[in-house]
Amino acid sequence: MTGRGSVVRGAAGAVLAVLALLAPLLSAEYVLSLLTLMLITALLATSVNMPAGEVGLVSMGHAGIAAAAAYGVAYGVKHGFGLGVQLLLALALTLLVSAVYAATTMRTNGIVFLMITLALGVMVYGVALKWSAVTGGQSGLTGIQRPDAFRTGPAFYYFVLAVCVLVVLLLHLFARSPLGLMLRGIRDSEHRMSSLGYAIAPAKFVAVMVSGVVAGVAGVLLVWHSEFMSPATAAFERSAMAVVIIIIGGIGSVMGPLLGAVLVVGIQYWLSSYLERWPTLLGALFIAVVIFLPGGLASMFRRGTARPAPGTVHPALDALLPSGWRRRTHEVSAPPEPPVGSPAIDRKGEGT
Amino acid sequence: MSWDYLAVQVLNGLSFGALLFVLASGFTLIFGLMRIVNLAHGAYYLLGGNIAISVNLATGSYVLAIVVAVVATGVVGLLSERLLLRPVRGNEMLEVLVTVGLAFVIADLSLAVFGGNPRSLKVPAGLSGPLEMGPVVYPKYRLILVALAVLVGVGLYLMQRHSRIGAIIRAGVDDRETVGLLGINIGRVFMWLFVFGACLAALAGVAGAGILTMRPGADTDILLYALVVVIVGGLGSIQGAAVGSVVIGLIDSFSRVWIPEFSYFAVFAPMALILMLRPRGLLGRAT
Repeated sequence: MTGRGSVVRGAAGAVLAVLALLAPLLSAEYVLSLLTLMLITALLATSVNMPAGEVGLVSMGHAGIAAAAAYGVAYGVKHGFGLGVQLLLALALTLLVSAVYAATTMRTNGIVFLMITLALGVMVYGVALKWSAVTGGQSGLTGIQRPDAFRTGPAFYYFVLAVCVLVVLLLHLFARSPLGLMLRGIRDSEHRMSSLGYAIAPAKFVAVMVSGVVAGVAGVLLVWHSEFMSPATAAFERSAMAVVIIIIGGIGSVMGPLLGAVLVVGIQYWLSSYLERWPTLLGALFIAVVIFLPGGLASMFRRGTARPAPGTVHPALDALLPSGWRRRTHEVSAPPEPPVGSPAIDRKGEGT
Repeated sequence: MSWDYLAVQVLNGLSFGALLFVLASGFTLIFGLMRIVNLAHGAYYLLGGNIAISVNLATGSYVLAIVVAVVATGVVGLLSERLLLRPVRGNEMLEVLVTVGLAFVIADLSLAVFGGNPRSLKVPAGLSGPLEMGPVVYPKYRLILVALAVLVGVGLYLMQRHSRIGAIIRAGVDDRETVGLLGINIGRVFMWLFVFGACLAALAGVAGAGILTMRPGADTDILLYALVVVIVGGLGSIQGAAVGSVVIGLIDSFSRVWIPEFSYFAVFAPMALILMLRPRGLLGRAT
């Protein structure tokens, strides 16, 4: 079952790793900058992907957390603080904003979680826009420089790559920890987990905090990359774009955010020079993926599991619904079908 | 602070709240029955406002502007529901995501068609100008907004309580399957309700174009307010939307004067408080 597929996938991974390591030697400066941006965008998408895939909580406001961290760095630079203080400011702001996100959403799920995070993200944007004494308002903060250690494009690229790999590894460990398994249980049946005596709200609080810290890291990298900070970093479009990326890439998959980020950032930068209406194209692509390929592009490469048919529910998305609604809508819209497309669930089925 | 000044601020809050109610009522109506969080609602608002401005510029007629804006946005709503939402019917998360994509597309096409400059609607002389009420002088148009909101609210209440379609909607909120089993084409009810919600958003856009500007980004700004209103008032509840609109409108009006830098934050604070103390909202029902 796993023989040839895992070899192919291993080989593909090795090729990708070699390409990623050699990229600075092979590409021009602006292409490398674009690749760095793709990695950072993928990291932000990963911060949204973790609670979406593991707990079933899709955030539409994580750009707000990333922006808070980035403002921490930018404010520190503006006031002549050292790197340590800048990062401390970024960390403090990340934890503060994440705690607000986590505390207001820990008793919710599904679309209510999405709506509240959306509102929170726009709040951060509003504060960034209006509190111009600190944030520079609409014109933003300029003259930010990244630390000397990775002044050059290739050095910064390798740093970002290393951070991304490290974060993915840590998130992998987190997912395998007792808390991570519990979160997955909450995703699959919140009701059952709560009946078993697990405390749901604190677990969700921690999940959002962890994903918030990842978003904060992405925010710091982002401001180091652009060396400029404006409220647009926190805009709804940015948060929504992270969701677009994980849906296009495949919700809950490790490579999904990277796949989606390469595609979306690529469309933004290359197509925007030929086509003025690229957001329309991106929106249309997104709608098409949601309708026809709810498992995302990653599901096309996944071996051994069938692709969900158009209109049917991807298990990771299905789990996003409160259990009461899920049962009802299933009876109405979908005749009982074996769940397809989720390796996690399939494996569990085989084991018992 | 004088009483006159206070009265003006209260009226500012109420009239903005009135605009929010017209917008949020469509949003909450769609959510109540269909469980769709329509994140394209702000885009419909922007579309309605922009169409009204263009028609008004082209023909000079205010009434025609309203009619064309509402009908055209209704058609867009109809197409959205039929072509895009129908295929993912029953999965709330996919439906929200479709409306996100739709919001992107409508916002971008609006930028292409209507341009990036802020535009507003010229209100006819009969509706504009100041109105003297004792010591307080206040723009007539903003008071008309309050009247419009009351009209919409009472109309929706009567429709829900005393009409057949209202009975179907109320029954559908409680139990969609049983309504379907009774021989009612619930799919068709969904469709027309969605169109109706889009029309309400367009109406809010036309009304809002008289006091606010229609520009890129206005859709997400106003969507935030609508979200906060329905979260505070309780998802799916028209009465909740009314209460939420007044509360948020007043808070917004006063915070803009007292703490302009944190006015967004002031709107958010009651939402956070309510989420922690009473997650279903002021008048929402437990799910």
